[in-house]
Amino acid sequence: MHIHKFEKIWLIFGVTTLIIFLTVIGVSAFYLGNQPPSCLATVNPENVDTTAPFNEPGLKKVEGKEWDYELVFVASAFSYNPGKVEVPLGAKVKVIATTKDVIHGFEVAGTNINMMLEPGFISEYVTTFDKAGEFLIVCNEYCGVGHHTMTSKIEVIE
Amino acid sequence: MAQPEIGKKTHTKVEDQPSLKGTLASVFLLGFFLIVTWLGVFFLFVDRF
Repeated sequence: MHIHKFEKIWLIFGVTTLIIFLTVIGVSAFYLGNQPPSCLATVNPENVDTTAPFNEPGLKKVEGKEWDYELVFVASAFSYNPGKVEVPLGAKVKVIATTKDVIHGFEVAGTNINMMLEPGFISEYVTTFDKAGEFLIVCNEYCGVGHHTMTSKIEVIE
Repeated sequence: MAQPEIGKKTHTKVEDQPSLKGTLASVFLLGFFLIVTWLGVFFLFVDRF
């Protein structure tokens, strides 16, 4: 089979870039351990208020784990609990969130924290808060008439 | 009768390969666009917490 010289060039170029992109995803998943926010952890949506850690929403310091704090959020139509939380700058935090009723979103605007909260499932994201300032949390899954009023706030303080 | 044209050979130039210069340029234009946008999103992701 005859292949034009230019065709060889762009085939090699395309295959190489594809391999690089897929390698980055592979390293992210299998070496860095990145996974979907909701990864097989479940909770009974009817007993969220009495199930740990959701019985005490907010920031809690933890010992002996890979992260220093756990930040627990409970979403329900049309609010988050807590409505505002302060996080110290540089803290490694595991954000743990779930919903009591319908599907909600959990997006901390301007950051990589962006999860879907599904009833019965726990969504988690581990990150280091290394920028000071105020961060708005918004619901980005349409959840009902009060969807647009559903917000919370994270303040990263020095 | 003499056929004067019979001895003449007409040379038709046939290119053995079609020119793909323009195709090469557009393929790489698209390729670099994909790489630049991919890197833009990737560095945005890395920079944010």
